[in-house]
Amino acid sequence: MRPEPGRASDALLDRARNGDARAFEQLALDIERPLYRHAARMLGHDDAEDVVQDALLSAWKSLATFEGTSFRAWVFRIVTNRALDRLRSRKRRPELPLDPPSESDDSVSWAEPVAPGPELADLAADREALRVVEDALATIPADQRAALLLRDVEGFAYDEIAIITSTEIGTVKSRIHRGRVAVRNVLISRGWKGSSG
Amino acid sequence: MHPFGDLSAYLDNALSSEARASVQAHLDTCALCRTRLAELRGTARLIAALPMPMPSRSLVPRVSVPVWLAPLRTFATFATGAALFLFLASAVIAYFPRAQSASTAAAPAASQPAASFGAGGAASAGPQSGLTVTPPAPVVASDRSAAAASATPSDAAKEVTRQDSAGPSANAAEDRSRRLTPTAESAPFAFLLSPWLWLVLAIAFAALWFVIGRRLRST
Repeated sequence: MRPEPGRASDALLDRARNGDARAFEQLALDIERPLYRHAARMLGHDDAEDVVQDALLSAWKSLATFEGTSFRAWVFRIVTNRALDRLRSRKRRPELPLDPPSESDDSVSWAEPVAPGPELADLAADREALRVVEDALATIPADQRAALLLRDVEGFAYDEIAIITSTEIGTVKSRIHRGRVAVRNVLISRGWKGSSG
Repeated sequence: MHPFGDLSAYLDNALSSEARASVQAHLDTCALCRTRLAELRGTARLIAALPMPMPSRSLVPRVSVPVWLAPLRTFATFATGAALFLFLASAVIAYFPRAQSASTAAAPAASQPAASFGAGGAASAGPQSGLTVTPPAPVVASDRSAAAASATPSDAAKEVTRQDSAGPSANAAEDRSRRLTPTAESAPFAFLLSPWLWLVLAIAFAALWFVIGRRLRST
């Protein structure tokens, strides 16, 4: 997990809990863009802005009841829950289930490389590769996407993701693994291969 | 058996120490699992390297500003528009009645000299009554009644002619006084027709809107 900004953030949180609106606004400003990034990858641009704004307003209103220490994780929880709720209500018949039928993580299928290609680790600057990753993320179940983004992009630990997504840590482990393998399979099917290092 | 299901958790350092040691021991002897682990690591790095999308507006609610400030800005916005509209409307109203009254006053003045010349001996009264477009109707009426009371027959004939000749001007004056009457009755509210009032109000509301907008944008 990425560390909280530090004591300055703790002081701001204390002030915000005591009703200091400007302290809350500063806390929110620090995580505004990561929150939007997470929501945008869950929902798309337009809904993401609404969800983040509503979540921050909700956080301000219920700040007095917040007893944890990580303001960031708490607000990410609100945003993630709202994003998943919106995804559930967006379509009466979702194209993909939010949580697919359970099966052993060991039985997850691994696609085989179709042809030699560039190594994944070297492709971080390749726009085409990043576009493929974005498309792949958009096709995996929302619960897996949320867990994977919270881990790989936002840097939360498994136990924090379990709290954020209101689930068991074993489920978090499974979702991250399945989501990551699904994205890997899309990349592999496009001709890339991972390094053996 | 390959510990595929634990590879992501191993990568994320989320396994117990025993499970981690077990996976590590397997990786030391299994090239396939090392390849899978490298693929997962590369995938995670790519996901982390995705470009940061930017919101099109600030998403932080301005909770430090009074809750009534935003509605007040909305009010100022509409009030500015309304004042501008009323400014334009009052400017139009203030211009057109003048043009209208000028045309109605010009018409009797133009017809009057012809009627006066028709009066013959009343030539001296003719031009006078031709010029008496502006005197108010009561004055003309009192002149008429006084003349009728003391008139000789010849004077009466002249008076009839005078009345006829004075008719258009008197009617015009009455029309004017009739037109002026409502204005005189609504005199207390006449200032509402002043374009300057609405212009000043429009500027004031626009200034209020600007100040509130700056306050709302500041954090």
